[in-house]
Amino acid sequence: MTAEALDPLIHVPARLQIMATLATLPDGDQLSFKRLQDMLELTPGNLITHLRKLEEAGYLATSKTGSGPASRTSVALTDDGRHALDIYATTLRGLLNGV
Amino acid sequence: MSTHIGPPSGTPEESRMDPGEAARLLEQTQAKSRRSLDFRAPWIALVAAAVALVGFGIVWLNVRNQHPFTGPSPVSLVVLYGLIAVRIATVIYARARARSGVSGHSVTVQRNEAVVMGGALLVWYVVLIAIASSGQHDAGFDWSLGLSGTLIALAVLWTGRCAIHKNWRELALTVPVALIAAAGAIAGPRGMWLVNGVGLCVLLLVTAAFARRQRRGTPTHMVRTGA
Repeated sequence: MTAEALDPLIHVPARLQIMATLATLPDGDQLSFKRLQDMLELTPGNLITHLRKLEEAGYLATSKTGSGPASRTSVALTDDGRHALDIYATTLRGLLNGV
Repeated sequence: MSTHIGPPSGTPEESRMDPGEAARLLEQTQAKSRRSLDFRAPWIALVAAAVALVGFGIVWLNVRNQHPFTGPSPVSLVVLYGLIAVRIATVIYARARARSGVSGHSVTVQRNEAVVMGGALLVWYVVLIAIASSGQHDAGFDWSLGLSGTLIALAVLWTGRCAIHKNWRELALTVPVALIAAAGAIAGPRGMWLVNGVGLCVLLLVTAAFARRQRRGTPTHMVRTGA
């Protein structure tokens, strides 16, 4: 097995961090964009770019509540996203163990 | 301060990592997230340990030579409840800080559980006041029921909640609380304050040490996902 076996969408530092952070939340919970940004220390523009790619792949879902300045965007891993991260971690383990 | 991780948007494909780097990043990120989202920091348990030892200790010093037992003085009770208020405030503060930005199912469930626990506690205190006002029992019985009974009831309720959520870490804390309270009940109306104060303090110090050990990080062979 080679590193090519790793999901290329996740195998990027910022996106791996996003997925790993959201995976620590229980199923059915979301994290606000602002908190995610604070936790990962990413710029808003950079975070939006990576979130969009993950959302397009169906790995995460965003939802917006409220309107105007009080609006809040929340992000959560989808079942597909959680599954993809599980596969990624299993593949990574296999690579490290020389399987 | 914000720092860029990965390239600016629009570059072809982002910086790649070797598997070792990726494993380290995955583990570090998950460990950091868990620490950040978990309000049960070691200092919270340390504050609780101090509250238990000082609060119950002051009442014990007040009642230990009472013959017959008449109950703690109003001053010692004010100190005890003041310290309990400090403990509650620290938990509320730490929880609000750790869970800021988190919403969804678990938040709703926890809010509902807090309302149920608060309601149950209120009903319990009404029953206690009614029993004490009836004058059918001595002060020793009333205070034993008030302290040991309340601690046992709370611990049993919380143990049930932990079992439902399969939260074995918290369950390992609630069961000893019930046992300490039971030992306090056996020690009698004077000794129970000392037993609960020392017992809870030791238990909470062990909890703080365990939490500190857990927060130091995860070993690199533990590449795993999920909450």
